[in-house]
Amino acid sequence: MFDALIDGLFLVLQWKAFSLMMVGMGVGFVVGLLPGIGGPATLALMLPFIFKMSPAEAFAFLLGMHSVAATTGDITSVLFGVPGEGLSAATVIDGHPMAKRGEAGRALGAALMSSLVGALIGAVFLALAVPIVRPLVLSFGSPELFMLSVVGISCITSLSGLGARGQIRGFAMGCLGLLVSTIGQERQSGSLRFDMGMMYLWDGLDLIPVLVGIFAIPEIVDLAVRGTAIAGDRPAEDLQKGVIEGIKDTFRHFWLVFRCSAIGVFVGIMPGAGGGVAQWVAYAHAVQSAKDAKEREGFGKGDVRGVLGPGAANNSKEGGELIPTIAFGVPGSGAMAILLGGFLIMGIVPGPDMLTKHLAITYSMVWTLVIANIMCVILCLGILNHLAKITYVRGGLMIPFVLFLIFVGSYTANGQIADLIVTFLFGFLGYIMVLLGWPRPPMVLGFVLGKLIETYLFISVSRYGFSWLTHPIVVFLILLTALVIAYPFIQERRQRSRSPANA
Amino acid sequence: MRRGRVLFGLFLIVVGAYAVHSALGWSFKTALFPLSVSILLIILTAAQLLLDLFGKAETAGGPAIDLELAADVPPDVARRRVIGIFFWVVGFILLVFLLGFPIAVPLFMLCYLRLQSHESWWLSLSLTAFAWGFFYGVFERLIHLRFEDGLIQTWLGL
Repeated sequence: MFDALIDGLFLVLQWKAFSLMMVGMGVGFVVGLLPGIGGPATLALMLPFIFKMSPAEAFAFLLGMHSVAATTGDITSVLFGVPGEGLSAATVIDGHPMAKRGEAGRALGAALMSSLVGALIGAVFLALAVPIVRPLVLSFGSPELFMLSVVGISCITSLSGLGARGQIRGFAMGCLGLLVSTIGQERQSGSLRFDMGMMYLWDGLDLIPVLVGIFAIPEIVDLAVRGTAIAGDRPAEDLQKGVIEGIKDTFRHFWLVFRCSAIGVFVGIMPGAGGGVAQWVAYAHAVQSAKDAKEREGFGKGDVRGVLGPGAANNSKEGGELIPTIAFGVPGSGAMAILLGGFLIMGIVPGPDMLTKHLAITYSMVWTLVIANIMCVILCLGILNHLAKITYVRGGLMIPFVLFLIFVGSYTANGQIADLIVTFLFGFLGYIMVLLGWPRPPMVLGFVLGKLIETYLFISVSRYGFSWLTHPIVVFLILLTALVIAYPFIQERRQRSRSPANA
Repeated sequence: MRRGRVLFGLFLIVVGAYAVHSALGWSFKTALFPLSVSILLIILTAAQLLLDLFGKAETAGGPAIDLELAADVPPDVARRRVIGIFFWVVGFILLVFLLGFPIAVPLFMLCYLRLQSHESWWLSLSLTAFAWGFFYGVFERLIHLRFEDGLIQTWLGL
């Protein structure tokens, strides 16, 4: 195994594979920065180029591109409040308020360093887990995956305001998200739901226009209302100092970064869940790490832990997603499904052979994740100073440019004008929600998880009736859900009993 | 604000009611999930609405974990600017619909920079050229995205 690990490293360091990884990283860097255009779309676009490559070169090229796109997506989220890709939406919640407060450098430093730590943890998990992951994945059937999604949706309690009304609004928004996710063809029977006679809605709403609209448009409106630069009229921050502070934050909260990375890996391993879920669960976990209600109030207004959690989970999930893809040929996400296409183009069949005959190639993927992320962060740290200066550019110059990027990004979802209309409608809805104090994150979580929950519930009931409720892992996950829901209330109660007024 | 919350609550109830009404016409398996979720949406929103209308002012719990809008701009100015920016967004979508992205992008950039931001011709034209170059270089040449023609080009057979 050790020999294979070293062979894997040499496969990546061969000049051709290394050069192709650099090219992939360059493409991934640009694509990650562009709003809406995510890693999966780019992987699909680049797939035809690998036909003449060797397997190690092809995976260095594809994985180098994919892992870098996830990292640089955070930069757009922090600077403009526009999700660089679907997987960077949670970073907007605290990263952009930091930029508005004149702490863009710190937020970017934290996002990049936590991404690197997350990616490394993900890669280590991948290297260690490949031989032993089989029993874990096989023990998770539809009932367990359903309950895992329910655990995810229970994070709404942490993403909503405290107090009864805050929780009611949060859960109502979660329901709205779940309802929106049911638009389109029902997967089991093929019946159409809420399609309003429009063919565009048959496949349901795409994540990108919804996410970009709901997060980016309210930020643009707010920027227009303020009439200043993103960072307001504050004096320019000492960027170098800010970036270093962000890096230090990663290590100050290392235990949180580690836990969120583990969440990313775990969600990544589970087929179908993907990074869209991992980032929100990690964000909710970061919120739960607040010691009291007062500290918790800082989330959403620029708490660096809200950047560290999703940043770490986003990149660690790459390692997690690769585990079932390599070991069983079961892709954990859309991007991995495309990568699976890469395996087949290369004539490699994922499964036991990847752990024996092609072990060096498997480890070359681990090394690609490690090297690409380290190089990306080093390169980004070199140019962060210039990137963060964007937050001091006048709003009047920024708005038209960001608007055109938002809409071109949304258009890439389906290549239809309707994508722009969906972006606008969800942008308007997002603005109204922010204006009236209804939280957006629970709605997004509901939307992301809705299809999974319904599909797994249907399969569980069809296959097991209601006996699946007694499966040991299901029972454990039910208890975990109850704990996740109750935790903010327990925390609040404990805090109240400790407060001096009650002493 | 209170009137806004009530109106938004009513909107959510109408959405939930529409979902229930639609779902009642579907088979049990197709309807089960949307029906459960929309009934829950109606119940929760109605509870929130009642609390907003008849409950005490909200004190405990603090705000939602979300963006905070600018509070230091006079409300009438803020309202005017909000309407203005939404006007520009709708205008951009209309331009794309009528002319397609390759023409709409530079036209929108130039119009916004000149008419809304009141920038000089030199800066407006420079930034427009940069935006168009970025659009053409990255989206058309590098990523090879295919952009639909606008309605006018289709209509004229161009």
